[in-house]
Amino acid sequence: MLTRVAGGRVIDPANHRDGIGDVWMRDGRIVAAPPGGRADATHNATGKIVMAGAIDIHSHIAGWNVNNARLLLPEFQNAAPGDAAATSWSGTGWTAQATGSLYAAMGFTTVVEPAVSPQHALQAHLELTDIPIIDKATLAILGNDDYLLSLLHAKESATAIADYVAWTLAASRSLGIKVVNAGGAAAFKKNVRAFSFDDLVPSCGVSSCAIVKALQHAVNALGVPHPLHVHCNNLGLAGNVETALATIAAAEGLPLHLAHLQFYGYGKEGERGFSSAAAPLAAAVNAAKSVTIDVGQVMFGQTVTISSDVLRQFNARHQARPRKWVIVDGDANGVGLVPYEYRRKDFYNAMQWAIGLELFLLIEDPRQVYFTTDHPNGAHFRTYPDIFALLMSRDLRAQWMADLPPEAIKMTTLPSITREYSLTEIATMTRAAPAKLLGLTDRGHLGAGAVADVAVYEDDADRARMFRAAAYVFKDGELVVRDGKVTKYRFGRTLTVRPERDRAIDRRMKAYYQDRYGLSDDVIKVPEHALGRPEPFEVVPCVT
Amino acid sequence: MERDLQHAWIAGKPAPLDTAVAEAAKLLAASRQPLIAGLGTDVAGARAALALARATGAVIDHMDSVALLRDIAAMHTAGLMLTTPGEAQVNADTLLLVGPGLAQAWPELPQKLFGKVRPADIDADVERRIFWLTPERDAATLAAAGTSLTTIGKELRDLPVLLAALRARVADRPAGKTRVAAATLDELARRLKSARFGVAVWSAASLDALTIEMLCGLVSDLNATTRFSSLPLAPADNAIGVLQTCGWTSGFPPRSGFGRGFAEHDPWLFDSLRLVESGETDCVVWISAYRAQAPAWRETPPTIALAAQNAVFRPAPRVQIQVGRPGVDHACVQHSASTGTLVAVEASAPSGTVSVADAIARIAAALPGHGERPC
Repeated sequence: MLTRVAGGRVIDPANHRDGIGDVWMRDGRIVAAPPGGRADATHNATGKIVMAGAIDIHSHIAGWNVNNARLLLPEFQNAAPGDAAATSWSGTGWTAQATGSLYAAMGFTTVVEPAVSPQHALQAHLELTDIPIIDKATLAILGNDDYLLSLLHAKESATAIADYVAWTLAASRSLGIKVVNAGGAAAFKKNVRAFSFDDLVPSCGVSSCAIVKALQHAVNALGVPHPLHVHCNNLGLAGNVETALATIAAAEGLPLHLAHLQFYGYGKEGERGFSSAAAPLAAAVNAAKSVTIDVGQVMFGQTVTISSDVLRQFNARHQARPRKWVIVDGDANGVGLVPYEYRRKDFYNAMQWAIGLELFLLIEDPRQVYFTTDHPNGAHFRTYPDIFALLMSRDLRAQWMADLPPEAIKMTTLPSITREYSLTEIATMTRAAPAKLLGLTDRGHLGAGAVADVAVYEDDADRARMFRAAAYVFKDGELVVRDGKVTKYRFGRTLTVRPERDRAIDRRMKAYYQDRYGLSDDVIKVPEHALGRPEPFEVVPCVT
Repeated sequence: MERDLQHAWIAGKPAPLDTAVAEAAKLLAASRQPLIAGLGTDVAGARAALALARATGAVIDHMDSVALLRDIAAMHTAGLMLTTPGEAQVNADTLLLVGPGLAQAWPELPQKLFGKVRPADIDADVERRIFWLTPERDAATLAAAGTSLTTIGKELRDLPVLLAALRARVADRPAGKTRVAAATLDELARRLKSARFGVAVWSAASLDALTIEMLCGLVSDLNATTRFSSLPLAPADNAIGVLQTCGWTSGFPPRSGFGRGFAEHDPWLFDSLRLVESGETDCVVWISAYRAQAPAWRETPPTIALAAQNAVFRPAPRVQIQVGRPGVDHACVQHSASTGTLVAVEASAPSGTVSVADAIARIAAALPGHGERPC
C-alpha cells in the first residue's frame, strides 16, 4: 500500500530538509516519491508540520520499579478517564495500554526504558510487550553488581569485562548499558551514606570513577551504538556540579551520556547554599564534544520519583509527599520509590525548573542535549508539549518566571537568556539526534528507507497545544492517531543489540549463579516465547 | 488427537472442549456481574483473565488476596525497606524471622537462608545470627536450623506487643512489660542494631496488617544507624506474578472491577467471597491451575471452573475445563520465591492440556461482539 502525506511543511533535519512537500510510505518504510505514483491513501497535510516520529531516550515506563510505584500510589489513577485532570496523572490510567496511547498521541513512536535490573529484565519486557503502538528498548543497569565489582577488584582484563557486558546485554535483551551511582548501592549495603566519584566501594576497594571508566570502555569496545548512560553520584545535592564536571572530564574524548543533568546543576552559593551551576555545566558540555546529556526537566505538580539510585532515594525518603516510600536493596542496584510534589512556591523546586531550562538553552548543539523529564522523576511525559513551548518562547518563560519566587529566579541566568528553539532544533533534539545516539539509522528521519514513523502537527502558534495532540501519526506506515486520539491499536517491537562475546563467559555465568545462589542462570534470561506476542524483538547492529 | 487430551465437563458430564467453551461464553454473556476469582495461574493466564474482565466488565480477585493486600497495606501506610531472596541469602548476617508459616510459604527457606553468609568481600567470614519471634508450629524447621538460632516469644498473639516493645527499645525508649523478659528484649535490640546487614522475614498469611506495619517501622528505624531490610514471603498460587500483571494492566492490585469500563480498586467491594455471599455476582470464573483448589464459599453461583487435574467441586460447576499446570504441562512465566522476580519456566512434563490463557482466549473468542474491542 502506497501512502502519501501531502503538502505539509516537512522538517527533517537529518536530511537537511525544511520545506513544503510530500512524504511517501510503502510497506512500513519511507519511499522516494514514485514518478507518476498514485497513492492508495492520501492525507492532506496542508498548513501542517511533518516530522519523523519522536524518540524518547530516557523515560521510566516499565518494569518492577515502575509497576511497584503504581501499586504504591493507587490514588494517582483513581480518577475516571475524562474527569477534570487535576494533575498530569489523573484520569489517564497508569497502565501499559495508557503509556503507548499517550505517547503516540504526541507523535512519539520510540521510547527507551532506561533502568532495568538484569534480574528483572523479563518483567520489563513483558510490560513493554503490552505497551501498544510505540517501539521500545531497555538499558540494563550494571555497576553495583558483585560480579563486575569482583572483576575490577581482581584487575581482570578489559576483554573479560566486555564479555560480561555483552552477556548481560544478550541475557536482558537490552539496547545499551546504564550505570546508576556507580558503586553507591553496593556501598550503601555496607552502611555508607554518601558516595562520590572518587570514593571506594568498601567491599572491593574499587572507585566509582573506575567502574564508570571500565563500563564506558567495554560499551565502546563492543561497538554498542549507545554510549554508556551515566547517572552520576550525588544526585540532587547542593554543590554536586563538581561531581558532574568530574564525570564529564573523565569521558576523556570517548562517548559518554549523562542522564538528567538538571539534577546535577547545583552550586552552593547564596543564603540557602543552593544556586544554579547550569552555566559552568553547560560550558563544560559545550567543550566536551564526545559527551551528550539529557536534561530531566522539572515541571510543577505531583509525581513520583522512581530511581535505581537507592542511596539517594533512601536519603530523600523523608521528603516523600504523600508520606510513604519503598526502598529496595536489590541484587545489584535496587530501587527507591519516593512520591514527590514539585511546588511552584518552593525555592528549590523553582530553581530546579529554571536550571533545566538553562541547560536546554545554554548548551549550543541540539545534538548534545536531549529532551527528557526523566519521566516521571522530573515530571510526567504528558508535560513535554509545555516544555517545547517554553523552549520556543522567551515571552512564555517570562510569564512563568513572574509566578515563581523571585529569590530563586535571581540565582539563575534564565531571565537573561533570549534564545528560542526553532522547530528544526526541536526536530533535531527529539528525532534526528536521539536516533543517532541510539544507533537507529532508520529512525528519526524521513529519508527513503527509514521506518515510516511520521508525526503530523497543526502549525499552531500555541506550541503546547500543537505538540499535545498530533493531527496524524503513522507507525510503520499505518495511521494510528488522528487529532490526538488513537484510532488503531497495534504492537511494536523492542530494540536490542547483541554484540559478539567469547562464549566462555556463558559457562562462567552459569557457574557463578550456581555457586553463589544455587540457581540456574536461566532465571535472568528472557526467552522470546515467554513474551506472548510474535516477533517481539528487533536487533540493532553494532558498530564494527 | 486434541480431543483425547482435553477434559471438559458440562454440569459434571464429559463434553467436548468446544462445547464447554461455548457454554462458558453463553454463561458469561448472560451475566450481569461476572467475577473472575481464584486466579491461580501464570502471567499469560493473568493477562488473559484481565482482558476477559475488561471485555465483560468483571471483577477480578486472587484466592490469596487477603495476605497479598496486607503487605500492600503496609506499603500504603508506612515506609517499606525491601530486599531480595538473593541478598538475604548471601549478605544478611542477621535474620529476624517473624511469626509462623515461613517454611510453608517458602519451603527452600532453611536451605537458602540458614547457610553461611557469603558477602562480596572476598575474605569476609561472617557467622549468621538468626532470631525467630513466635515461630509457633514452625518448630520443626528450627530443628534443621543449627545452633545459632534463637527463638523469642511463644504465641503469635503476643507478637504485636513484642514488636512494639522491641521497636521502642531499638529507639532507646522505655517499653512496657511483655511476655518476654526485658533483658532478653534488650539483648535482641542490641543484636539487631549491631547487624551489618539484617533482614526481617515474614509471611503475610500469618500476620495482620498492623503487625506488618509495626515490623516495617522497626526495620525502618534500624536504618538510623545500621542497615536492615525486609523480605515478605510471597503467598502461593503465583500471587505476586498475578499482582504484577494486574499492576501494569489495570494499575491496581487484584480486587478490582471493570464494570464501569475502566479499572477501579476496592478491597472490600471487590472481595470475591463477599460478592458471592451477597449474591452480587451471578457468574464465577474460578481459576486454579497450580492445584485442584475449590473456592472457599458454600454458595453455588453458576461457575466456570478452569482447574488443574483431579479438581473435584461439589456440586459440579456448570462448566469445568481441566487446564495444564504452569511449568509442568506447559512453559510459563511465574514469580519465583528464590529470586523474587518473574522467571520463565519450561514445561517439566509437557502435555497438550489447554492452558488457562488458551482456555480464556477460546471463551473470549466465543463471546458475542468479540473483535470489536481495540486490544
